Amino acid sequence: MELTGEQIVRAPRQQVWDALNDPIILSRCIPGCEEVKKVSESETHTRVAIKVGPVRARFSGKMFMTDIVVPSSCTITFEGSGGAAGFAKGRSGVTLTDEGAGTKLSYSVEASVGGKLGQIGGRLIDSSAKKMADEFFAAFDSALTGGSLPEAGLTASQKGVTYPISAGPSVTGASLGQSPFAGGGFRHELYRAFWFSFGAAFALLITRFLG
Amino acid sequence: MKAPQFDYVKPASLGEVFSLLEINGDSARLIAGGQTLLATLNMRLSEPKLLIDINGVRGLSGISLQERFLRIGAMTRHSEIEESNLVAQHMPLLAMTAPHVAHKAIRNKGTIGGSIAFADPAAEWPCCAVALDAVIVAASKRGLRRVNAADFFRELYKTDLKADELIVALEFPLQSAATRCIFDEMARRHGDYPIVGLAAVADVSGKTLNQLRLVFLGVGNTPIRARATEAILEGKSLSSELMAAAKSVLAGELTPGADLYNSSEMKIHLAAVLMKRLLEKMTS
Repeated sequence: MELTGEQIVRAPRQQVWDALNDPIILSRCIPGCEEVKKVSESETHTRVAIKVGPVRARFSGKMFMTDIVVPSSCTITFEGSGGAAGFAKGRSGVTLTDEGAGTKLSYSVEASVGGKLGQIGGRLIDSSAKKMADEFFAAFDSALTGGSLPEAGLTASQKGVTYPISAGPSVTGASLGQSPFAGGGFRHELYRAFWFSFGAAFALLITRFLG
Repeated sequence: MKAPQFDYVKPASLGEVFSLLEINGDSARLIAGGQTLLATLNMRLSEPKLLIDINGVRGLSGISLQERFLRIGAMTRHSEIEESNLVAQHMPLLAMTAPHVAHKAIRNKGTIGGSIAFADPAAEWPCCAVALDAVIVAASKRGLRRVNAADFFRELYKTDLKADELIVALEFPLQSAATRCIFDEMARRHGDYPIVGLAAVADVSGKTLNQLRLVFLGVGNTPIRARATEAILEGKSLSSELMAAAKSVLAGELTPGADLYNSSEMKIHLAAVLMKRLLEKMTS
């Protein structure tokens, strides 16, 4: 399946980029996100609990980040499993451009779905994915414009970490222009965790429905 | 595949249902006809801890003629609607639509309340409810709440029903003698989820349509009422020029998403074909 879209986020581009790198904001905005865990330099695991109609399922996935251009764009390759329900893999790309005082966020996702959900969910793949993308962006825009943040579903491994919720280009001790694989404070890792959950969430959406 | 383990309870009263829903929250599911829920469980797409069987609660089923509306209880099976004389006489759109709901065996168990609460984008009853201006009656500890069908279907699989509510009945306002209605849908095989469907209701005199309502299923996440298309047809005599203009407005008004089987253009095309067919039948 392919999904593309554009959202205007009412905040400046650097702020949007930083928020997209902030695992707390992101994991709260992704509907049902339960855990984000960095496994290695390039790989992050996540778990998201999905609700669409009567369907309730947990999706576990991995993602790999590449082609990072700060503060503009990134590619994420992901794969995930929903247990008995099926599996999905794909890639997504996100690009930020300035739009007046705000930011235009363009995304494109290509994914393939296998297993039961691929068989029976065909007629609803795109609309479910679009619906969850809309929910994510509504929460994200609200978080950036000072609205309330949805309740956190973070695990202990994240709650124990302190890091600034950034509103500006303020990563200390690392230049954002360098390769994210160099050095690597926790911030970079969580940075990737976001992109991962972002991509995983789309994969999740498309693996949750009835035929 | 078999369903995961769950507990089961069959309360005898609505009060017990409300308590069970309150205590268990999202880990309980109501089971009525089970024609959607059992498949969901067997495919392990949902693993509720408790099933609350409402087949034992009295007063939720049955079709009765009231002064201004036809009342259909939420637990009424699709096949009961299909075979009812009251429905054939007073709400013929439902009688015409019932044979399109899945297959006969499913219609023997499935309920109209279940179909309305689930709100599948390709379901027939939500589309008819909007076309007929039905009222959905929901009950909870707080009492009864009535919601117009036009406001009830919110988003994909999301209705205005609150987590602690249960649909108890639908009320269909009685129609005048001049009202005609028609329903049809297109599916690859009989009984499949339809690609698109249309419920049309109007007061017809000669070839002129008044108070026209056109409600489509399968072209959005909820039933879609084609108001701009209705406006261009309203009060005018149906001719091939008017139909061509209406098709063009319809193509601009509908924005169906594509899916694995049909493109947006295909769905718009089929919607226009259905509209032409049904309006011509209605005015013949």
